[in-house]
Amino acid sequence: MTKSTNTEKVIAAVSAIDQGPKVLKTYMETCVKCGTCAEVCPVYYGKPEQRFNPAWRSDLVRSIYRKYNTTVGKVFGGLAGARAPDDNEAEKWADYFYECTGCRRCAVYCPFGIDNSVITRKGRAVVDTLGFTPPTMQKVIEVSLKTGNTDGATPQAFKASIDFLEEEMRDEHGVDIKIPVDVVGAEYFYVPPSGDVMVNPEATTGVAKVFHVLGMQDKWTMSSHYFDGANYGLFTGNDAHMKADNKPYVEEAKRLGCKVMLMGECGHAYRIMKRMMEAGKWWGDLPFKIMNCMEFTAEKIQQGKLQFDKSKNPQPVTYHDPCNFGRSCDIIEEPRVILQASCTDFREMTPNRGENWCCGGGAGLSAMDSIKEFRMSVSGKKKVEQIRATGAQYVAAACSNCKRQLTQLSEYHKTGVAVGGVHDMLSRAILINGKAAERKDFTG
Amino acid sequence: MSALQLLVGVVLPFVAVLVFVVGMAYRFRVWFKTPQPAKMTLTPAPKGSLAGAVLAETMFFPSLFKGDRVLWLFSWFFHVTLALIALGHIRVVTGLADAILISMGMTAENVDQMSSISGGAAGIVILATGALLLARRFVVARVREISGTGDFLALLLLLTIIFTGNMMRFGAEHFDLGQTRAWVHSLLTLSPTVPANGTFLVHALLAQLLFIYIPFSKILHFGGIFFTQALVKRS
Ligand code: SF4
Ligand code: SF4
Repeated sequence: MTKSTNTEKVIAAVSAIDQGPKVLKTYMETCVKCGTCAEVCPVYYGKPEQRFNPAWRSDLVRSIYRKYNTTVGKVFGGLAGARAPDDNEAEKWADYFYECTGCRRCAVYCPFGIDNSVITRKGRAVVDTLGFTPPTMQKVIEVSLKTGNTDGATPQAFKASIDFLEEEMRDEHGVDIKIPVDVVGAEYFYVPPSGDVMVNPEATTGVAKVFHVLGMQDKWTMSSHYFDGANYGLFTGNDAHMKADNKPYVEEAKRLGCKVMLMGECGHAYRIMKRMMEAGKWWGDLPFKIMNCMEFTAEKIQQGKLQFDKSKNPQPVTYHDPCNFGRSCDIIEEPRVILQASCTDFREMTPNRGENWCCGGGAGLSAMDSIKEFRMSVSGKKKVEQIRATGAQYVAAACSNCKRQLTQLSEYHKTGVAVGGVHDMLSRAILINGKAAERKDFTG
Repeated sequence: MSALQLLVGVVLPFVAVLVFVVGMAYRFRVWFKTPQPAKMTLTPAPKGSLAGAVLAETMFFPSLFKGDRVLWLFSWFFHVTLALIALGHIRVVTGLADAILISMGMTAENVDQMSSISGGAAGIVILATGALLLARRFVVARVREISGTGDFLALLLLLTIIFTGNMMRFGAEHFDLGQTRAWVHSLLTLSPTVPANGTFLVHALLAQLLFIYIPFSKILHFGGIFFTQALVKRS
């Protein structure tokens, strides 16, 4: 591909904003360069440099838009902040736009509500069109489209994990607690992030125990082929990939005949299913609805249907609101209901809920080891301080990406804070036949 | 009539009004019509109505208040004073406001006094806050590194307009509003008579250039905010 055709493609992709969507178009024409977004951005907080300034990054797109789509830009050029892309524009964007965690925190404080993550995603989409998506991200997409999960795990591997989890639960409680797989006709189809089966499985045992206690062990199922809600098309800006990755899950839900697709502790997966796919009617009207497992469990707790032995979780515990749950999906109080019910010493970090700071690994960055140093010392800097200030020994995050980032932060900065999910804590404290799990070590 | 008088007093008023009205209408129409397939709501979404939340943002800047207290202070006073001054300019173009106030029992002297106190105070506040906003662009790194020529120019233009406005109020030579009222009236009857005061001509020239510039520039943000805020506040 020659340089000039690349430049033309960048211009064409940016100019397409003229036709919408409305968010992008108004963002191209509204920012007043007040610097408030920089003040509240986790990346800029970590390193206050021009390169990490949200408005500067967004202006990479905005300046090209101006040049070709606005009167002042055409007439006054550079004076009006307009410029032509240079030869390596998209290659450079592959660095710059993977330095924004897509956390949307800027939008909360910007006087205009400008959400720089939307511009970031557009920037990444341009990068993707030209084939410069960072290799790690590209690989995750390819694996996921091929196998249906981002870990590339086979149905056999999945089933082996499930067997292992059932065994664990038998050890913990002395009774059989099932994790049903591929049950056609089950009411609930549970879709966690694959990490919650392969890497941090306690959230999944937590969900299994909830169904068990409710006497609903026959009413739910997982799928041996589709057990990963993660969808990196959101992160690379490639809508076609996002939809291609999403579709098999909807088909599987239809095949299983479920009434509820119960999403696991994974922020972006739930956001795509609930706020994008369902709300945007990607596949028309659905015979099932989308719900999050934390909504499900919190409701049962509030109805008094689940009992706990809080002393099983004696250590101070705090909750990290994953950006996609807190700022984009309104799943905010549910995890708190669960943690307060199952932990002795629950503490809020400040700020929290819709104003929480990003872990520093949002928008797929968490999976990129190529930028680990950046994630540890720049984008995750504020998070470490925030967690330290709570004095918590365990931070619960309802998101696989957050968990990976937080675990690495904990190791890198030697904070000694354990990281896990929300249902993990529930799993350790929930009473089954009047008894909580027998665990050798429950402080980790 | 001098060439400047002809330009500022006769030609530009029509051009400025036309460009401003058509330009704004066009921009609003385009924004309104641009499709938005997905919802962008930030959660937790505001409790009350969408219109209420957006209106609150445009009047009190609560998001900015949470994000940057100092900037909020400068910019809120700047904008509110600007709005008051715009309102005060009703007296510049017509004697009607005076007449209403006088019919409510004020004396002509009272009205002048009130106007010179509130207008004078507004003139000082807006000059000060405007200067602080400009200084901020030079001094604060996170603002300086994203400021372009246009950002400085827009503020400088506003400050010059404010400054010349203040000169007319605080200057030694008294500026008689009768002149401007007669001028506006003469424009409406298409038989222009234009004040000859030099400061006034500069003030009016720049103000009209500003109005022409608005639909093309970031000063447009006072229109854009309704759209951008609605996008993230819609529940
Ligand atoms: S806070 Fe909003 S208006 Fe201010 S610089 Fe950032 S994006 Fe632009
Ligand atoms: S989305 Fe988050 S990381 Fe990206 S610019 Fe906004 S605040 Fe910074």
